[in-house]
Amino acid sequence: MCLTLCVYVCVREIVIVFRARSVSQVPVAEGKSVQQTVEMLNRKLEQLGAVKQGNFCVDCETYHAGAIGNPGQPPKFLYVMHNSEAPLSCFALFENGPCLVADPNFDVLMIKLKSYFQNAKSNKVESRGARYQYCDFLVKVGTATMASSARGITVEVEYCPCVTANDCWNLLMEFMQSFLPSHVPGVPSVFGVKTDGVYSPSDTMAQYLELFSKLRKQQAATGSGMR
Amino acid sequence: MSGGPMVQISIESACEKQVQEVALDGTETYVQPLSMSQNLAKLAQLIDFGQGSASEDEGGEGEARGQEWGKQEQEEDEATVKFQPSLWPWDSVRNNLRSALTEMCVLYDVLSVVKEKKYMTLDPVSQDSTVGKTPPVLQLLGKKKSLATAAQLLLKGAEKLNKSVAENQENRRQRDFNSELLRLRSQWKLRKISDKILGDLSYRSAGSNSLQGRFFPHQGTFEVIKNTDIDLDKKIPEDYCPLDVQIPSDLEGSAYIKVSIQKQAPDIGDLGTINLFRRQLKPKSGTQPWHLKLEAAQNVLLCKEIFAQLSREAVQIKSQIPHIVVKNQIISQPFPGLQLSISLCHSTGDKKNQKSTPDKNKPDDHLYVLEHNLHQLMREFHKQTLSSVVMPHPASAPFGNKRMRLAGPMAYDKAEITSLQQSEGLLEKIIKQAKHIFLRSRTARTIDSLASRIEDPQIQAHWSNINDVYESSVKVLITSQGYEQICKSIQLQLTIGVEQIRVVHRDGRVITLSHQEQELQDFLLSQMSQHQVHAVQQLAKVMGWHVLSFSNHVGLGSVESIGNASAITVASSNGEYSRNGPESGCKVMVQFPRNQCKDLLKSDVIQDNKWNYLRWPHKEVHWSKMEGRNFVYKMELLMAALTPCP
Repeated sequence: MCLTLCVYVCVREIVIVFRARSVSQVPVAEGKSVQQTVEMLNRKLEQLGAVKQGNFCVDCETYHAGAIGNPGQPPKFLYVMHNSEAPLSCFALFENGPCLVADPNFDVLMIKLKSYFQNAKSNKVESRGARYQYCDFLVKVGTATMASSARGITVEVEYCPCVTANDCWNLLMEFMQSFLPSHVPGVPSVFGVKTDGVYSPSDTMAQYLELFSKLRKQQAATGSGMR
Repeated sequence: MSGGPMVQISIESACEKQVQEVALDGTETYVQPLSMSQNLAKLAQLIDFGQGSASEDEGGEGEARGQEWGKQEQEEDEATVKFQPSLWPWDSVRNNLRSALTEMCVLYDVLSVVKEKKYMTLDPVSQDSTVGKTPPVLQLLGKKKSLATAAQLLLKGAEKLNKSVAENQENRRQRDFNSELLRLRSQWKLRKISDKILGDLSYRSAGSNSLQGRFFPHQGTFEVIKNTDIDLDKKIPEDYCPLDVQIPSDLEGSAYIKVSIQKQAPDIGDLGTINLFRRQLKPKSGTQPWHLKLEAAQNVLLCKEIFAQLSREAVQIKSQIPHIVVKNQIISQPFPGLQLSISLCHSTGDKKNQKSTPDKNKPDDHLYVLEHNLHQLMREFHKQTLSSVVMPHPASAPFGNKRMRLAGPMAYDKAEITSLQQSEGLLEKIIKQAKHIFLRSRTARTIDSLASRIEDPQIQAHWSNINDVYESSVKVLITSQGYEQICKSIQLQLTIGVEQIRVVHRDGRVITLSHQEQELQDFLLSQMSQHQVHAVQQLAKVMGWHVLSFSNHVGLGSVESIGNASAITVASSNGEYSRNGPESGCKVMVQFPRNQCKDLLKSDVIQDNKWNYLRWPHKEVHWSKMEGRNFVYKMELLMAALTPCP
């Protein structure tokens, strides 16, 4: 499994809370299963002094956009994602494209638009796990599953007080080094795109999407079974 | 009329000139108007200049002619005189004489006319001959008649006015059923169902329906009936009303909600009792009986509804000490030993309720602020049910708080969502307020009792004017009288919350005390003792003594029951020590150098003179015998006494 670490930097403003988060994928340790690695990470966090605050869940559904009977065009995919961190929201995004943040009614809308957006049910990916809080940091260690088979581990690290993405990348890296076993990945791509540097929840979802896409591609390339 | 064709009006001057002749071809020849000189000549021809004869020959023939001739003669004479200006020197005399003569002739004529009355008489100006001719009796009768006519008219008018006023009063007294109904409709909601008229006195339009109303589905309808049992022959009574209302049987009488906070332990008394929604409806002269009845019934309904809501919450919410709901009373214990009871008192009709509390409340028993807050809570309770559900809201939005609609698009997380939603019920708010009031009054009582009991360091409390329903603050200063400027090191800011008291010390320490009053008392006592030692420290600076050691919590000496003892050691400039440690009393010890002690045994051990300057053991000062109003004063005197004179 490759390690992708997306770091989000969240800054807490008075009105809107954006958190800088980094979502990354942790490689499974040699000879151990996904669950064992996850447990190891959890134990490390608890030793560090983090407090478990429940569970989290991020899922992603794929929709084929555009009519099927149009062979010239490559199929565009619309991804509809949910995050338990924002329980009343629904995110819809294209790869490298715009992201829409909406009400839960959006799901109902997608059902109504069945004829234009076909749901690829087999491609649903979700990541579930425990949520830890360590002072100003929020760490979520989750198991990414696709079709009820564990594909990888995602680690999301959030630094609550900061909103500017690039300012606390170093801090996040340092923090991650303290509990993650191997090297910390590079700056996530979303950071570079930012013009004003302010982080938003849709960036989180973009990072997750990137991660899930990678997982799907790996699955396609290597077939089932973990390395 | 308007819009017709414009009519041309032409103006032509009238024909001024006379037509002399009309020629054959139609041209008219006008008489030329006379020029000015011609006009003058024409007028002059009319004057008869030839009639000027001598004026002496006049008899009694036509005085007017004579006068005219006299004038003409005068004019002639004047004209002649003008043309011969300086003929002879007696001219002016002759003229004067002539004019005198004229005057005399005229006078003679007038007198002859008056005397003889032959051809001319003097006739006076005609006067009204009827005045004075009619006798006064007739005049009187005439005046009487005219006055009588005027009076007649006025009386007629007055009669008409009287009649209309009487009619009006009659109408008002009679109180037509329809007009009463109109008046009723202007204040209450009515609707007609078949042949009955029903009204609604519930608070549905104010929002008491919807979520809460489902559990309290009282319809609140009343019926309007015509009062027909009137005997037209008898006199109509004063308070007769042709309209009567019939209210549901369970809303009869009057009700109010009684909130009381009582303490079961005897150290402080009850905090008080408040009656909410208890209105003594004094009927004004203009109000109708049905209005009073309906208002009372509505009040009963409101009290019942509120009580139902409170009891529902009391059963549902979980707390450490469960609430007891007994028939029409809710009892809860915010603190152990404190009892808050909310009861619904409903008295029906004229039956005197024996359990009803007397009307007069002791003034310090009445919790005005709590009453005001509770009223506000009740009103808010209705307002929130009304505004949250009702329009306008988008068809697709869920019911609830308006800001919640933003939660989706703005990706709010759980913390923000919970902050948007209101989670506290009415009963919880009341309990919190009761707790806060209780804690505040007990804190005030503790501080006041300490202040009255202990005089030496004085304790001052400055309560802030602006407080919250759940938070109040007070600033406590501990000072010594007379030394406030130098000993102001103990200043505490107390913030009284719902269950705890937070103390912020001047040196930055933050201490949280629970609701036990003993804790606060102990804390204040320990602060007072520390103040004494701090005061000595400041005093030493002023007096020029050196502070050798200072400790807030000494580990030596007897163990104190509350807090810790503190001690300070100061030295004067030439070496006399003073040490004191307060808390369960102040102990001041003075240490003199050896050579100043009187009861010193000479001994051979001391070889060198310098050993005489060592310190001798401490001697305790009889503090009670010291002069001085308070501790700091006494210390100052002591230090002053021990300071060596230069």
